Amino acid sequence: MPNSTGKRFKPTKYIPVSTAATLLVGSTTLFFVFTCPWLTKVISPAVPLYNGLVFLFVLANFSMATFMDPGVYPRADEDEDKDDDFRAPLYKNVDIKGIQVRMKWCATCHFYRPPRCSHCSVCDNCVEDFDHHCPWVNNCIGRRNYRYFFLFLLSLSVHMIDVFTFSLIFVHHHRERLTALHTTVTLVVMCIAGLFFIPVMGLTGFHMVLVARGRTTNEQVTGKFRGGVNPFTRGCCGNVEYVLCSPLAPRYMLHPRKKPHIKIQPPFIRPDLSDRQITIKVSDNGTHSTIVSSKSKSSLVGLDDKEIQPPLPPKADRYNLKNQLTSSEESSLSGKTHPSTPAMYKYRPSFSTMPKVHYHNSREKIVRGDECKTSAILEEGVRGHDYRSEPNLDLPEYTNAPLHKTFQSSPLQLDADPVNSRSLSLKQAQRRSEKGHLPALQPQTVTSTPYKSVFSPNTLSNRNGSLSYDSLLNPSISPAAANECMAHRGMPSLGFHSPYLPTKMCHMREPEIQRQQVTTTYSPVMPVRAVGRQSPHQRDRDPSPVRYDNLSQTIMASIQERKEIEEREKRQMYHGRSQPHIYAQDSGVFDGPGGYGLPPSGCYPDGTRSRGPTPPAYSGSRDNLMGVGLVNYGQRTTVMRHGGSTMSRALRTSSTSLHTDHSSSNSSQGRATEGYRSPTHQPHSPVVPRSPSYSHHKLSYMNAMTETPLDWELQGTSPNIWTA
Amino acid sequence: MSKTGSCSKRLSDRSRLFHNLQELRHSASLANKVFVQRDYSEGTTCKFQTKFPTELETRIERSLFEDTVKTLNNYYAEAEKIGGQSYLEGCLACATAYLIFLCMETRYEKVLKKIAKYIQEQNEKIYAPRGLLITDPIERGMRVIEISIYEDRGSSGSSSSSSSVSGSTTR
Repeated sequence: MPNSTGKRFKPTKYIPVSTAATLLVGSTTLFFVFTCPWLTKVISPAVPLYNGLVFLFVLANFSMATFMDPGVYPRADEDEDKDDDFRAPLYKNVDIKGIQVRMKWCATCHFYRPPRCSHCSVCDNCVEDFDHHCPWVNNCIGRRNYRYFFLFLLSLSVHMIDVFTFSLIFVHHHRERLTALHTTVTLVVMCIAGLFFIPVMGLTGFHMVLVARGRTTNEQVTGKFRGGVNPFTRGCCGNVEYVLCSPLAPRYMLHPRKKPHIKIQPPFIRPDLSDRQITIKVSDNGTHSTIVSSKSKSSLVGLDDKEIQPPLPPKADRYNLKNQLTSSEESSLSGKTHPSTPAMYKYRPSFSTMPKVHYHNSREKIVRGDECKTSAILEEGVRGHDYRSEPNLDLPEYTNAPLHKTFQSSPLQLDADPVNSRSLSLKQAQRRSEKGHLPALQPQTVTSTPYKSVFSPNTLSNRNGSLSYDSLLNPSISPAAANECMAHRGMPSLGFHSPYLPTKMCHMREPEIQRQQVTTTYSPVMPVRAVGRQSPHQRDRDPSPVRYDNLSQTIMASIQERKEIEEREKRQMYHGRSQPHIYAQDSGVFDGPGGYGLPPSGCYPDGTRSRGPTPPAYSGSRDNLMGVGLVNYGQRTTVMRHGGSTMSRALRTSSTSLHTDHSSSNSSQGRATEGYRSPTHQPHSPVVPRSPSYSHHKLSYMNAMTETPLDWELQGTSPNIWTA
Repeated sequence: MSKTGSCSKRLSDRSRLFHNLQELRHSASLANKVFVQRDYSEGTTCKFQTKFPTELETRIERSLFEDTVKTLNNYYAEAEKIGGQSYLEGCLACATAYLIFLCMETRYEKVLKKIAKYIQEQNEKIYAPRGLLITDPIERGMRVIEISIYEDRGSSGSSSSSSSVSGSTTR
């Protein structure tokens, strides 16, 4: 009988169902034929009616339980399990209402069995909510047909009780003539009913308990929840309701429906990048830094429309990202690398006039400093490192690509340029009102691109007014800085950008800034350029002055002092080329400022002399500030110095390469110090790796911030203390 | 000589361009499939994870994908809701000895049809333009939402056509 091909025809599996069907239908038919007529006459016609209905119900449920798809899962496609086949674990855990449930890999069906699913060996299928395989119906009982099976059991129990009872009545009334045909048949029916009464009732009672507890036979028999919690229970009433009243589940093994053909034709729409971060790899002289920036493609495009895009300078090719991005986005991309820029732009709307001034100056400076571009680029590569460490800082604040672009324009050049460009771009982006500035900016941006690129990573991090290093070291400060920058609208923008000029500018009020601009436009540029020229490798780019945004007025004043120092340093730079080298040696030293030049005040000599050892040199810069007479600043510097010295010492040992410095020191050191460092650091040390300085700055700055002005007064007068 | 050579070259370029354009007409090819798994955190009710697959990051916006999955989850929740309509359906089915299933479609089936329509619409409007295709979970046993990712096979053709165009123009 069994066939050799395909599925074997096993008649044996049909024996139980045949038997059950035969017994059920046969017995009931006999009952109706032989017993019911007398019952109808004697008791009531409602008896056969009632029995008929019950029997009908039994049959219906029996049929549904037998022929209904229990919830068979179709086999999974090969594509679905390509990852799961060989290397996949046998079990996968899933959390259901806080309870870990194990999903087993089904080798036949090629998927992880969903919870409560089991593979039936008889049917060779995975069945959803598998209960058991019932031989009497020759079908699995699963999610779809469990209700019918349960009702079948219930109705069959009731039917059996009915049949047995009425047969007993009949026999009782015909006990004198037990050998009569009707009586005999009724007796046989009674016996059958009585015989199967116990198993059926037992099974019914068992399933009533299962339903009340919300378990399947499989779970009960395998003891899955023995002593444990059943995550699938909904409470007694809920479980009963679920079994009896839930909607009929769908069939999975459907014949393939004809689906309307959907045409997939390239070109494909690519998602808008506005709400995504794109990772841009910037390769600068072999140093790869990953810059993450979010950019709104549409906004970029819009910006392009609004402002005349300055053609990206050839140096922009440095950025791999430019290659990656479309040409239309390239300019914005450059901005992208400086996510911080846009945020900073927010702070700069007031710098409408200033940028112009700076712009011209910086442009000139930029031109002159073109030869330093390469070095700037190198530095930037380093900075990119920093930037990378804080990929997302600027994302939420990034508004316009052009902002970035302009920002980029003069990274090295000085804060003035980037500031100007940034502020200009900011205004452009925000107000679209100062297009006049754009043309002015454009050349600047173009020319300053090399510098831009160098600083872009930094500037980006300075989004919130903090240098990249700062943000790297202490991202928390950035938002604070940003907020502060927001508060000081006139000031912060400058401070964000270039390590050189902006630091001084950033905290100055507008009138002051304008005043300063005239005077300082050149100075910051000069030293910057000088620095760039000399040894980009040797010195880190000074951290962006962003930190200054957080500084108070006193610190701003100190920044003013620093500007003077920068001027001095500029002079010295031209004279003393060796100084940067010295700085380079002091990798961990923050004495950049000191190295650059003596601060105008009497304290300066200390700073200068102490250049060799880190702390003193660093303090020298602080001393300069103190010498200026900024009490608060002095206080802070003192604190910072100590912190910074500690930091610098630690840093010095650890950092040899700029890159490592940035990444390690920034992350390890407090960002505050770094941020603070930047202002002092900028004009001075090309050598000192930025990261250490930043951390140093930050730390000391942070400490300083906690100091009270009064304390400064006590210490402010004696710079020597710091050098000690 | 050079002129004839250039003419012939131009012709060949044009034919190449034509062939490339023909290539462009071909649809994209299936590149990958992403499977959005079921979310079993609330039991066995049908719910899919709204976690955005990384493979789709470059293909579709996160919000669109999440909207699709959330809508599907809502549909399934509505289908499986135990309430008045399901009571009525059960009683009616019992009363008619389940013969009603031969005439009427159940609530779940109605919702499944709505889901199929929704997925069809989503595919046409959102996913197909992005080179994606959502497969109805019912075809996978409601275990996963299968998203097929198509790649632009004709992109190379386009570039070569453009290059050939440029080549012809420059000559």
